[in-house]
Amino acid sequence: MSKKQAKHMSKKLSRRSVLKGAAATGGLAVGAGVIGAPTIWAQNIKDITINHTGMSYSTIIEIARQASEDLGFKVEMSVTDHTGLINRMTNEPTALDVADSEIWQTKAYVPQGVTQAVDISRIDMWDKITPIYTEGKFAGKEVSREGDAPFEIMYRESKDATSFHDGPTDWATFMPGVYNADTLGIRPDLIGRPIESWAELFNPEFAGKAAIQNIPTIGIMDAIMAMEAAGFQTYGDRGNPTREEIGATIDKLIELKRAGHWRALWNSFDESVNLMAAGEVVIQSMWSPAVTAVRSQGKNVEYVHLKEGLRGWGNGLALMSHLDGLKLDAAYEYLNWYLSGWMGGFIAKQGYYISVPETAQSFLSDNEWGFFYGGREASDVITSPTGEVTNQAGEMRDGGSYEDRFAQVAVWNNLMDEADFLFSKWNEFNSA
Amino acid sequence: MKSRNLIPYLQAAPLAIVLFLFLAAPLALVLVVSVFRNKLFVGLVPAFTFENYFSILTNAVNYQLYLSTLKFTVIVLAVTMVLGFWIAYFLVFHVRSLLIAIGLFLVCTVPFWTSNIIRMISWKPLLGREGLVNTALINSGVIDQPILWLLFSDFTVVLSYVHLFTLFMIVPIFNSMARIDKSLVEAAVDAGASRWKVIWNVIVPLCKTGIGLGSVFVVTLVMSDFFVVAVMSGGLSGSVSSGVFFDLGILNYPRAAANSIVLLAIVVLIAAGILRVVDVRKELTG
Amino acid sequence: MHKHQKRPWTFYVLATLFTLFVIFLYGPMISIFILSFQGPTGGLVFPLTDPGFHWFGALFGQARTGDVGGAFGRTLPLALAVMVATVVISVAAGLAFRRRFFGSSVLFYTALASLIMPGLVLSIGILVAFQFLGLPTRWYSSAFGAHLSWTLPFGLLIMFAVLSRLDPAYEEAAYDLGATRWQTLTQVVVPIVLPGIIAVSLFGFTLSYDEFPRSWLTTGPQNTLPIEIYTMTTTVTSPALYALGTVTTIISFLAIGLALGSIGYIQHRRRNKKSF
Repeated sequence: MSKKQAKHMSKKLSRRSVLKGAAATGGLAVGAGVIGAPTIWAQNIKDITINHTGMSYSTIIEIARQASEDLGFKVEMSVTDHTGLINRMTNEPTALDVADSEIWQTKAYVPQGVTQAVDISRIDMWDKITPIYTEGKFAGKEVSREGDAPFEIMYRESKDATSFHDGPTDWATFMPGVYNADTLGIRPDLIGRPIESWAELFNPEFAGKAAIQNIPTIGIMDAIMAMEAAGFQTYGDRGNPTREEIGATIDKLIELKRAGHWRALWNSFDESVNLMAAGEVVIQSMWSPAVTAVRSQGKNVEYVHLKEGLRGWGNGLALMSHLDGLKLDAAYEYLNWYLSGWMGGFIAKQGYYISVPETAQSFLSDNEWGFFYGGREASDVITSPTGEVTNQAGEMRDGGSYEDRFAQVAVWNNLMDEADFLFSKWNEFNSA
Repeated sequence: MKSRNLIPYLQAAPLAIVLFLFLAAPLALVLVVSVFRNKLFVGLVPAFTFENYFSILTNAVNYQLYLSTLKFTVIVLAVTMVLGFWIAYFLVFHVRSLLIAIGLFLVCTVPFWTSNIIRMISWKPLLGREGLVNTALINSGVIDQPILWLLFSDFTVVLSYVHLFTLFMIVPIFNSMARIDKSLVEAAVDAGASRWKVIWNVIVPLCKTGIGLGSVFVVTLVMSDFFVVAVMSGGLSGSVSSGVFFDLGILNYPRAAANSIVLLAIVVLIAAGILRVVDVRKELTG
Repeated sequence: MHKHQKRPWTFYVLATLFTLFVIFLYGPMISIFILSFQGPTGGLVFPLTDPGFHWFGALFGQARTGDVGGAFGRTLPLALAVMVATVVISVAAGLAFRRRFFGSSVLFYTALASLIMPGLVLSIGILVAFQFLGLPTRWYSSAFGAHLSWTLPFGLLIMFAVLSRLDPAYEEAAYDLGATRWQTLTQVVVPIVLPGIIAVSLFGFTLSYDEFPRSWLTTGPQNTLPIEIYTMTTTVTSPALYALGTVTTIISFLAIGLALGSIGYIQHRRRNKKSF
């Protein structure tokens, strides 16, 4: 989409013409706060504060600052971890307004009735949202349904429904936010040969220099990908394995642990960065911003493209049930702002995608757009959201273009039916 | 006269209120929830079932976890007790000025004001594969391969515990030692008792309360920890509380609650065992 | 005391042990201090590249490093409030416990139980309790209470030790001589227990300031500093964490200087009084 088209689109799309100024100045507008405050709202909307609670990778204070500036009311960010979010949502639903949750977490909180479904007619750009979420399709093809694919949890029957609806309705579980597809991270300088399969995670060659994430719901997916690639186990549905399959997978992890294969299991993003940067491991589960972080420290790390495919994940913004009246209006304003471009441009530099990519383009330079979405060589340096150089001109983003990447999603992060069993087995892995 | 009798109640009332609101009531609710049933994707189902306890007590993994936690507890207890005793002894009996003793004591407490998380992370630049210790050892030719068990091992976990928790042993021992009448010690020495005999027969018995309390602190802290183990063992060791943490992540409150109650029961048993040896209240109030 | 005697050999052994212990305590801290001067592209481990004050600036700039400023702005008042409440409540309770009263044993053992209650369990319990009562959890309500349940037993035990040196006869005497209760408290009791009060304050503040498990589920929508630091480690961690450690340590030393100074001053004053 060209900038002209973007401009045209933005004019018709919203009552606030959010992109007017932005599109005019194109990619240079990032962070410049050029969006005018909405004028049609009553003065007292200024007194409203919208609390956005989520995990640190997408709940970033700069987003709130920009949103507050653009919207004229206050948006505040509360950062917590996965466990903290789900507990705050269910135990104290009124303490937050907008929950930035992972797809799989919806399965835990929707039945609790703590959120209201999002009225699709109030999301201006719903039609522009990637079909990965809204139709379960990408680039015309069906997206993998193994694991908690976004489409499966996308809709509810009505505003207050506490279960999912199969197929589109007028009510969305949440408004799609950021997402990505993850893979293994490696140190090419220390490995010295191409890595092309998940099976390499279990390769004895890397004994004592491999790591896997210690978050059971996600770590198990990496393990399943590796198990299958190495030919140790086949799965009926990798996204919803049976007890036997989980048992066999974790027994293998334990066997490798006893053989000294795992240098560590990482609990937090930061640990994965340090493991890689400090040369502790050469191959491990990784999230894309961690790759960026290691790079910004001047260490070479590659987010490898594996032939078995990638592990997809995604977030969305859910509206808490207690929102009504003016506050609900403000929350919808915020949701619409979220898709209007600034956020998409900002989060792209962290390596994530936004559910409406085309608005993000207006907030990225041609170089950045080509690098993050187009899979093209950088024509100039690429920086992180904080301004550190992560890639030099001439480098290409690992994993290829946006299209390549999402055509390759094999499984999704998920909360499986046997989660209780999984957690207990995972504990066994920890203590073995 | 009547009003005087009421005074202790008034004085103790705030404590009682706080403990009721923030200890007894929450604990009672945890107990109630622990017999509820949890249905994945549905939530809490009020019930009266011992299913959660049953699943915990019949799962061999839990015994393994308790065993590994107990192992850490015993090692850390032994190390902190020895360290705590001698450091307190040094401060009380060897440092002549009280102000300097307090000053040195406070020097021990300063690192405590830096977040435990930061203090844990701070070991990594030292102990890692490319950390300062390994680099120094390799450069000086002592070893040619980095020592890997320095980081992400049981050793690291114990090291961190000692680093984080020794203070909890020093304080109570220091406190009870400071109350020992020094003339008593001198009298014993003058009477010809050897230094060791004085320490063993006079000082240790008089510090029993401090040692006992310190032990209770350390046992509680180690037994209920999940964070230090997870971070410092590099996820390669489990802890009793890590199960609770996982369960909370999928809102399985009943199992988390039951797990907590079992943990609490075990900690109470150990603490009661320690406190049987010393009657804290009698010792403290004389 | 053995003022003029030669120090026994054990002095030197134990002084060495103490020094080693201090090195053990501060050793890793020192690498933190150094690494907090890491340049903008530096990582969390050595080597130090392009040193400067970059991360100290980032610390309170509220950028990607998390809301350290805001979290500190909550943790400090919380720790101070916990400190004051711990002092008042444990002094009062300590005074009460000098006599046996109905329920005193139950209360005492409840306090001990509070000490050994695993923080995570208490956190869940308080969260569920607040939910049950329909109250929102906040750092100044639920987390405040959760912290008190941890600091109070400490305060109480310290007060026991201190008050055992305060003979109730002093108070009786003052009272019989016509002093009001308030006068007795401020002019007889407080001066004697003051060093103990300082110890309780120090404990109350320190324990609250760095409390993680008890705050985890009770802090509500706004994080206290330890929780914020924890969440910071779940994202791109920068040497800003180390800068935070350095700043905290410097402030701590200042605070301790202040506390020591005040103890010294009080002792000095008391000694002068006695000589009259």
